[in-house]
Amino acid sequence: MKKECIAMLLAGGQGSRLYVLTENMAKPAVPFGGRFRIIDFPLSNCANAGIDTVGVLTQYRPLELNRYIGSGQPWDLDRADGGVHILPPYQSANGASWYKGTANAIFQNIGFVDMYDPDYVLILSGDHIYKMNYAKMLDHHKKNGADCTISVMEVPWEDAPRFGIMNVDGEDTITEFEEKPAKPKSNLASMGIYIFSWKKLRAYLIEDESDETSSNDFGKNIIPRMLKNGEKMAAYRFSGYWKDVGTLDSLWDANMDMLATGSGLDLLERDWPIYGRAGSLPPAYLGRNARVEHSVVARGCTVEGKTENSVLSERCTVEEGASVQYSILMPGAVVKKDARVSYAIIGENAVVGEHAFVGAPPEACRPEDWGITVLGPEAAVVEDYVLAAKRMRSADGKETVR
Amino acid sequence: MNGMHGLIFAYEEAPGLRELTEVRMPGSVPFGGRYRAIDFMLSNMHNAGITDVGVVLQGNYQSLIDHIGNGKTWDMARKNGGLKLLPPFANERRYRGEAFRGKLEALAGVRSYLSEIRQKYVVLSDSNLIINLPLQQVLDAHLASGADITCVCTESGAFVENATYFTLDETGKVSETRCAPRTASGYRSLEIYLLSRDLLLALVDECAAQEKYSFRSDVLCAMGGKRLTLRGFVWDGFAAQLRTVNEYFERSMELLDGSIRAELFCPARPILAKEDDEAASYIAPETRCTNSLIADGCQIEGTVEGSILFPGVKIGKGSSVKNCILFKNTVVEDGVALKCVIADKNVHIRRGGTLIGHESYPLVVSKNSVV
Repeated sequence: MKKECIAMLLAGGQGSRLYVLTENMAKPAVPFGGRFRIIDFPLSNCANAGIDTVGVLTQYRPLELNRYIGSGQPWDLDRADGGVHILPPYQSANGASWYKGTANAIFQNIGFVDMYDPDYVLILSGDHIYKMNYAKMLDHHKKNGADCTISVMEVPWEDAPRFGIMNVDGEDTITEFEEKPAKPKSNLASMGIYIFSWKKLRAYLIEDESDETSSNDFGKNIIPRMLKNGEKMAAYRFSGYWKDVGTLDSLWDANMDMLATGSGLDLLERDWPIYGRAGSLPPAYLGRNARVEHSVVARGCTVEGKTENSVLSERCTVEEGASVQYSILMPGAVVKKDARVSYAIIGENAVVGEHAFVGAPPEACRPEDWGITVLGPEAAVVEDYVLAAKRMRSADGKETVR
Repeated sequence: MNGMHGLIFAYEEAPGLRELTEVRMPGSVPFGGRYRAIDFMLSNMHNAGITDVGVVLQGNYQSLIDHIGNGKTWDMARKNGGLKLLPPFANERRYRGEAFRGKLEALAGVRSYLSEIRQKYVVLSDSNLIINLPLQQVLDAHLASGADITCVCTESGAFVENATYFTLDETGKVSETRCAPRTASGYRSLEIYLLSRDLLLALVDECAAQEKYSFRSDVLCAMGGKRLTLRGFVWDGFAAQLRTVNEYFERSMELLDGSIRAELFCPARPILAKEDDEAASYIAPETRCTNSLIADGCQIEGTVEGSILFPGVKIGKGSSVKNCILFKNTVVEDGVALKCVIADKNVHIRRGGTLIGHESYPLVVSKNSVV
């Protein structure tokens, strides 16, 4: 059946800058905020905005993600017509190839999009934390009669050289796009969220595919080409919390932002709920000697020790005498008796042994030696062991310094 | 199909639960920080591989229907079989506004449903029993013993009014059944019974023809040891029947004991409940939150001790909550003191208020009240 607008969610990236956290799963499947995974944000935004058809493009380590998305029921995306569809690369009569780039991933699924005959296609990434009403962006796109609308937000000028920057005219029509400019002319950064009129995009995807020099990427190829050809490109200004959590530092930052009031990221607020798939677990138990302060605690946790400024995801255990501060415990993480975890990310089901030390506060190290410490999913640190600041340890016991 | 079929009786009133059943049947009373009573039996059935369950309803069952939905939570939204709600349409007494006099009468009311049961065995259970019971073991014991009816029971413990007590011989056979005796002795029935579908159908038809309606007096007492062989399946784990507010309060507070939680919520047989879609709970700086169960979506800025908080509870600054059970979306403003209070859904306690109940008489605040 015809849909006005469908979403295509790019979830195939490895997320190599999350290192051990994405050794066995794609970046969008990485846990966030105690109860969610990164992909819950775009999926919930779609559900809340009334977009009921979402194609999820997967490529790197998709098992965890596939299982997590399942029928799409937690996001109300298990629909009779539309709903969520997982789209891995597939073989066709002319052979098979991996998704070569973001634009190529959509190109390879032109057939999927055509099934719904949409007027507009929303392109999303699976690595951003934000709450956004895409319906408003679509209205903006239609009102401006745009061929492409790019969501942008104002960033501090000093940060602008780290982003793709949009230069606009007085009506917020994009005049120029600069990727990571040394001398930015504007501080409007692209958020990697695009709405295209499908007919237009379809033609550009086909043209781009025939260009052998192209890297088949939206930011590098499609957008610049459309600009060059004088297509109508609108900027849609977003104000609110938005963060790319593609690095360990930004992932840690975003979790801490969630704890802070006034950051703009409030997951307990119910007007724009974020949905996620969760295990059927009893409520968290905080023990007789537990001290939990300025932290979030999810279902299935048992806390007997001390927790400050931290995120405890479902099924985590903090035993008596243990202390956790400024850290993120992913689902099932265990911190045993008298262990200390500080400025660290503890991966799913990882275990910190008794009396072990993982991570250190910045004031305890020289600045160049400090960084977030990471214990990978299923990894373990034996009792009395010290995993110093900035180190990463994976399930096979391999240790590296970032 | 060789296996079990579940039948849950969800019509029995529990006046002893007072305000908690003003707006709901005992089966949908919230329990354990995020469950409804009936979740336990439905999960037990699911965990034993049961796919087809009938829930016999009567009375104020809106809240129960709302909670159970299509049974998807327990994987019982199935193309064939699955969960079926059985309101009392088929029963003529319903039109006279009278409650069922007994389980056999309730079953006679859904006689056409019973004849469609695909499985060879049927488990009968109430809806307000909190237990994590391996029903597969009950079936295994039933098959091994060759009994006509297997009765799940527990050491008698303290006297319970209007209960059923069994005397078991050394082989586990029921030698005597006592309905509503004045003293406790032997084993007390948990009102879970396993028997074959064919026997159940025969008993329902026979009793209907003779104007008999009570499963325990007309079947267990009258026929047990004579026409029918009854056997006890003794359960020595946690089992809480929710009949009075006091019982509700005491049994709830037992969940603060880790060994009881470990048994009732054992990961091998999880208790499944409708998803509440809440973020993780936030606990503010300079608060003390100890010996408590905290569901998702809570925001705690005050002191909480020895309490059970359901999803979405808010506790304001300077408030103290001790030995309380606060249902979903309870709001406690700043500077409130609560002790031994059970607050039903959406209760709002205004700034500076004080509500004190007693361990032996917890104060219950009705749903949607503003205090």
